[in-house]
Amino acid sequence: MRNLLNFIIKYSTWFVFTFYVLISCILLVKSSDNHFSVYMSSANAIGGAIYRTSSEVTEYFGLLAVNQRLQESNAKLENEVLNLRQQLSQYKVLAQDTASGVMKDRFGYIGASVINNSTRHPRNHFTIDRGSNDGVMPGMGVVDQSGVVGIVDVTGKNTSRVISLLNQNQHFSAKVKNSPYVGSLTWRGEDPSIAFLEEVPRHAKFNIGDTIVTSGFSTTFPEGIDIGTVMGKVKTADDTFLVLKIRLASNFKTLGTVRVIKDGLKQELDSIRSIGTYE
Amino acid sequence: MNKSVISYTILFVILVLIQALLMNHIVLFDSAVCFIFIYFLIKLPIDISANLCLTLGFFLGLSVDILSDTPGLNALCCTLLASLKRPVYFAYEQHDDQKRNVAPSIGTMGILNFCKYAFSMSAIYCLLAFFVEFIEFTDVVGILIKAGASTLFTFLMMLAIDSLLYKN
Repeated sequence: MRNLLNFIIKYSTWFVFTFYVLISCILLVKSSDNHFSVYMSSANAIGGAIYRTSSEVTEYFGLLAVNQRLQESNAKLENEVLNLRQQLSQYKVLAQDTASGVMKDRFGYIGASVINNSTRHPRNHFTIDRGSNDGVMPGMGVVDQSGVVGIVDVTGKNTSRVISLLNQNQHFSAKVKNSPYVGSLTWRGEDPSIAFLEEVPRHAKFNIGDTIVTSGFSTTFPEGIDIGTVMGKVKTADDTFLVLKIRLASNFKTLGTVRVIKDGLKQELDSIRSIGTYE
Repeated sequence: MNKSVISYTILFVILVLIQALLMNHIVLFDSAVCFIFIYFLIKLPIDISANLCLTLGFFLGLSVDILSDTPGLNALCCTLLASLKRPVYFAYEQHDDQKRNVAPSIGTMGILNFCKYAFSMSAIYCLLAFFVEFIEFTDVVGILIKAGASTLFTFLMMLAIDSLLYKN
């Protein structure tokens, strides 16, 4: 026993070293979707408080640009409201006896500010100032005024961590606007304004400059939210699928205000999907 | 002793905050990042027990990790750097009992040796950090460029902070 103790004391540095290296490696490789990861992310109480305080100070510097963007998007939305109102009045006459109304309130938005952001890692995250107290839950989509920016990953009480679109592990289901061909949107590291739409069928038709939008196949994003525009085709080793190079619509270096998308049908759809997987 | 514990604690907190709030958002020429928080490890007295040094290194890295959402990355690199601190220091300095209890600085080591020591530590850290983070990439040259640029950036910021904090 004494020998063992002596041995441990003599080589304690090696034990301590190995212990810390092991813990670091476990943190490095484990997946982030467990309960513990709330404490290990910037969405925890201390990190959230630090970033909230700092963003309260720094957000004033960007107000001018944010204001301008909001005005632009406001003008666009007002136009759209006018158009839709006009269309609605036409359809109301036609659809009086159709008993829908379920879809009307399907998606809701929660406004939030980005309080910490990064674009230099291969797997980027950002932090927003809304958490479970505000109704944000893991798996919800996040958009800014230009398009899709990420998916909520971890929620604290008042802050949440979002997996940025600039994250190699996260894929988004997307398609060329007004066409049925769906692919998987992936970021490959390097340039924060460029992503790739993979696994597009070979026969899909597209033009350079076409808009890429969300496919609406998941409960995360409604169909038709902008993601970016087609820059061109990329050569691939195997010829079964097309890979398109996409210029992203959002500027990830200057994320300011974002909206979290709440899907009212999520629970229902998820439960249906879990039933339908018998082999 | 008590005074130095307090001053090291303050240095720890301030460096982690500077890293999280400021340095994480500055990327020069799309490649150079400043890991200013390792200045804390460089400044620890050389005489400090190895276990304490490793522990401080681990928690320093972990604090930065939590704030920048890179779990384990900086914790691993800081632990490794803490274990290499003594060998790097004694590669440039002779064993001298009088200097052991004080923080390595230009005053105690001379400007040339301190620069060599700080530069080597920054270089080791940047290489480790970029290779661990971009481990699945085959672009070794790109990683080396990033690590080199970051080493220079970190080293210069460190000298700047050192000359501000410690009057020689």
